[in-house]
Amino acid sequence: MACEYCELIKGKTSAEILYADEDLIVAVRETGLVPGQITIIPKEHFTILEMVPDEILKKCITIANKVGIVIFEKLGCQGTNILVQNGLGGGQKVPHFSLEVLPRREGDNLNLSWKPQQLMEEEMETTFLTLKEEGEKVVNVGKSSSKKVFPVAEKAEKIVKEEGKENYLLKSLKRIP
Amino acid sequence: MPEMNEEQRKALEEKIKNMSPEELREFQKQQCIFCQIIAGKVPAKKIYEDEKSVAVLDINPAAKGHILILPKEHYAIMPQVPDHESGHLFLVVKALSQILLRALKVSGTSIFIANGLAAGQKAQHFMIHLIPRKEGDDFLILEEKWFAESVRQQVKAVVQPRLQELLGVKKEVFVQKTLPPVAPQEEAEEEAAAEETKEESVEEQVEEQVEEKTEEEIEEVSVEEAAEELEEMEEAPLKKSALKKKSIAKKQPGKKHEKKKVNSHEKKDYHIPKKESKKETKKETKKEHKSEKKEKVSLDDIAHLFR
Repeated sequence: MACEYCELIKGKTSAEILYADEDLIVAVRETGLVPGQITIIPKEHFTILEMVPDEILKKCITIANKVGIVIFEKLGCQGTNILVQNGLGGGQKVPHFSLEVLPRREGDNLNLSWKPQQLMEEEMETTFLTLKEEGEKVVNVGKSSSKKVFPVAEKAEKIVKEEGKENYLLKSLKRIP
Repeated sequence: MPEMNEEQRKALEEKIKNMSPEELREFQKQQCIFCQIIAGKVPAKKIYEDEKSVAVLDINPAAKGHILILPKEHYAIMPQVPDHESGHLFLVVKALSQILLRALKVSGTSIFIANGLAAGQKAQHFMIHLIPRKEGDDFLILEEKWFAESVRQQVKAVVQPRLQELLGVKKEVFVQKTLPPVAPQEEAEEEAAAEETKEESVEEQVEEQVEEKTEEEIEEVSVEEAAEELEEMEEAPLKKSALKKKSIAKKQPGKKHEKKKVNSHEKKDYHIPKKESKKETKKETKKEHKSEKKEKVSLDDIAHLFR
């Protein structure tokens, strides 16, 4: 089945395209939560956030920020939301990662709030610990902190040193005769 | 915070007014609960921390595992956040989202940013909400509506010009800055077009001359001669200014022949972008005029739609 956003990028839908470059597209889709909603879609087909490469993700958010600024200025709204629905549980309708920028006004009948839960201290603690634990497993976090990167670098250094030693030994061997 | 009486409030307002920007920033930090969390003065469950950002568990979560990602610097809303920081924050979001999916066995996450009261922002510190989601949750259930094509077109007409400006069609912005002031653009399009062609031809002539001179060694051409030549040609303001530059360059005494040649080359270089850029700005200004008209109409329409 063809992906709705891939069709949009090809220009096969009646969505209005505001900006396009080699990585992404900024469009006003046919549907939305509020009028004036603008969507940022990477051109390549990534299903969920976790699949989007860092550089493209950075670019998406930079442009989303700019779109937010323009919406503030031009659509006369009182606030903006940026929303990513990621995964089925997250309410994602199209299997293609996208960022939504919504202009907001008082009384626009859009409810994006939630009822705050009061979790037990224990429950918070267990959640915290599971996340911490999982965080240590996932290598990706190491990209932004240097914790995970270090051991790899050290190993590499060791190998180099060992090679150096061998070379040194070989040299000395050659010298003996 | 306890309620303040009238006097205290006035005193506080006065105090804030007299603060220097640095003091004000410090004051803001003291007032902001999230800045205190970041500084470690208020206990919180920090999931992740690096030099730019902190991620903590929300104490009033929408669901178990609701994470807030905060920049360490105090920004009230997203437009204030510099690009490199917002990019970094989203990389953290991406990593944490992956952790949520794995650790809590959820089927999705919602990433939510609110700017302004109307959007549901509650704290004066910019943050990204990352909420683990399961099917059957009772929040953020969103039904999309269909919008008429006219609405979409209006949005496009209003947003596109400014957006493209912001997204750096950088060439045009650069050209505008370096340009000398251009004659008023109020004439009709046809006139402007006619003028353009005139200017072009005049400039071409000037250019040709410059080229010839470089070949014939400019040294021999005195300032006066150049001025005479100028007068012979039709008077155009741009041409004059260009030649003035030329004469200034020539007036510098005691300079070697080679140097003058270089000068003339530079002048030539100046000419070409000028011609192009002038045309560009003209087109731009025309576009701007048009889009402004459009905006006025469409803004009203759209405002009406939202009511």
